[in-house]
Amino acid sequence: MELKAYAPGIYPRSEALVQATRDLDRGRTSPEAVDRQVESDLGELVGVQERAGLTLLSDGMLGWQDHFRLLAERSEGLDARPLTRFLDTNTFFRAVLVDGEPRLREPVPAPALPAGRWLAMLPSPLAFSRATHGAASAQLLAANVLAPQIEAYAQSGCSLVVLSDPFLAREQGVKELIASLAELPSSVPLALQLPFGDAGPLLDELAEAPVQAIGIDFYSTSLEALTSGYPKEVMAGVIDVRSSALESPEEIGGFVAELTARNPAGISLSPNGDLQFVPEPIAKEKIARLGRSQSALQEVA
Amino acid sequence: MSDVRFRTQEIGSLAKPSWRVKTFAGRPLDDQDIEEAKRWGRRLEVDGHERLLEVLRSGQFGAAELTEIDDWAAVYGIRLLEKAELDVVYDGEQRRTEMYDHVAAFADGFEPRGIVRSFDNKYYAKAAVVESPSVGGPQDVEEFRFVRERTDRIVKVPLTGAYTMEDWSYDEHYSHEGALGASAERRYEGRRRFVVDVARNVILPNVEGLVAAGAEWIQIDEPAATTKPDEVPLVVEGFNEATRDVEAKKSMHICFSDYSALWPHVLELEDCLELQLEFANRDSRELGTGDEDRPGYADTLRLFKEHGYPNVGLGVLDIHSDFVEPAELVRDRILYAVDVLQDPSRIQVNPDCGLRTRSWDVVYEKLVNMVEGTRLAERELNRAHAAPAAR
Repeated sequence: MELKAYAPGIYPRSEALVQATRDLDRGRTSPEAVDRQVESDLGELVGVQERAGLTLLSDGMLGWQDHFRLLAERSEGLDARPLTRFLDTNTFFRAVLVDGEPRLREPVPAPALPAGRWLAMLPSPLAFSRATHGAASAQLLAANVLAPQIEAYAQSGCSLVVLSDPFLAREQGVKELIASLAELPSSVPLALQLPFGDAGPLLDELAEAPVQAIGIDFYSTSLEALTSGYPKEVMAGVIDVRSSALESPEEIGGFVAELTARNPAGISLSPNGDLQFVPEPIAKEKIARLGRSQSALQEVA
Repeated sequence: MSDVRFRTQEIGSLAKPSWRVKTFAGRPLDDQDIEEAKRWGRRLEVDGHERLLEVLRSGQFGAAELTEIDDWAAVYGIRLLEKAELDVVYDGEQRRTEMYDHVAAFADGFEPRGIVRSFDNKYYAKAAVVESPSVGGPQDVEEFRFVRERTDRIVKVPLTGAYTMEDWSYDEHYSHEGALGASAERRYEGRRRFVVDVARNVILPNVEGLVAAGAEWIQIDEPAATTKPDEVPLVVEGFNEATRDVEAKKSMHICFSDYSALWPHVLELEDCLELQLEFANRDSRELGTGDEDRPGYADTLRLFKEHGYPNVGLGVLDIHSDFVEPAELVRDRILYAVDVLQDPSRIQVNPDCGLRTRSWDVVYEKLVNMVEGTRLAERELNRAHAAPAAR
């Protein structure tokens, strides 16, 4: 069984980029200087992932403030405003106000990464709907905002879109989610990641979802919850982005051996959510350990 | 029935003046910094502030001068809140770095790990717990005494809660080993032990020291309270353990959270005067006292009404916006709350949260309007109450 590994989602900014954005807020530097620092951070992040041997590259979403805002800013009918606590983290996002029919006006540009070798992350349609407090339906947001964004990514060589849904494990709604996923194009494989939630009770229903892989946070989900012969690829969240402690490749290896014994349709390794929840030096080391775990397991296989 | 009178109160932090920030960071002051110290000293009628200007102009900031500057920052904070006519004051947390770091840097058992983003371009320093936390003595007694000696208003001491300390820390001690693929019960138990240790061994000693020094009111800040909705019982346990057998008013502040997760668990809070919550951030800015006018208040106030406990500290100022709420908007938010709860004695008035992200000019205008709006609401309620008797 081929073992893939990747690190989708928002990556922490370096201290230099943090300082640059603070300086920009205070009028002490220019947008161009911040852009240059973003380029530098991106180059460093790509290097870290390549050295780790990850299967696909992520741009770390260094220009995204949260999972929703860039999409809202580039859409008709959406406006990101009230600061709202993001479940399970000491972070906030701007809840999305709906003041008309949502429609993506201009897609977020694809990252400058080699075609066929990169992945992207977007909110799941249901998570996006939750960010509007239900004012826009998951189906509508999928059809009018996420679908054109995914198409734009597909045309730029994206190989996988990971849909993040941190709400599903707590607030339910699998049927609504699955219906909305039907609105998305099939031009790129999709994965559905459930960060920071116990996916166990949802796994049976999610087996019907039109996605290639289900991302399970195994720091919130017991391995016992996964039935033998699960029909989807399991994107196993084996790197804990809410912990500063560094994972041991040996422990991950032992865990993956148990996971493999359950014989899911496929296995890939990933963090259990956005790496932005640890400081950048720790995130860098976690990616390195993710890669070492993948390599060690490939050698054993 | 006596006249309605709402208590107006602050929640915690104010921005630190530039002269305080720069001197502690070892950065040079410019004329504008000193002018600001002078302007606010005059505006707030701070007795003896010329001495502060003298210290700042000296350009020499050794340990003694920094201590003096710290004291002046606290005095300015107290005076700003007094000048805005609040009933309940503190010092704007001028001596504290930030609510999490203030505790993590003082207690044993925590080690710094770096900065992580909170939102937009705002970051906070985060630590890891590496052993059971403890303290050698109470942390904030001197800070409290300083405030108590300089105001005749009610003093409320804000303290970071045990659950928030747990939730905002990395765990390298309680449940890290074997966490991958483990059961939810095992993870929960590790978090519970962390919360109880912080409550008993870090916060309670501070609370006991403060009350022994004369503190009448302790506010436990739990902004992380509903971060994991199924862990709200841990928030309650942390509050009860941190204030156990303490003879003082006790309240809890929560913000930017899903308040529907709080009940029924908060009914188990022992002797909690009120929950001070953020509402204005999620409300409309239009005037009006109908359900449709007050979307930020309706659902949560109905939970207060339905359960009858605790009382509510009504957030009426959005602390993340420079928009200065007109007094009439504050009035309408209060009148709406009275209409829902049908009991004005269950309501006191405050900003959504600490105001540290706003300039002092904006803060002052907001607070003045908050107090004025509160008086407008009282007048309207008392007039309505008096009207039937006059007929």
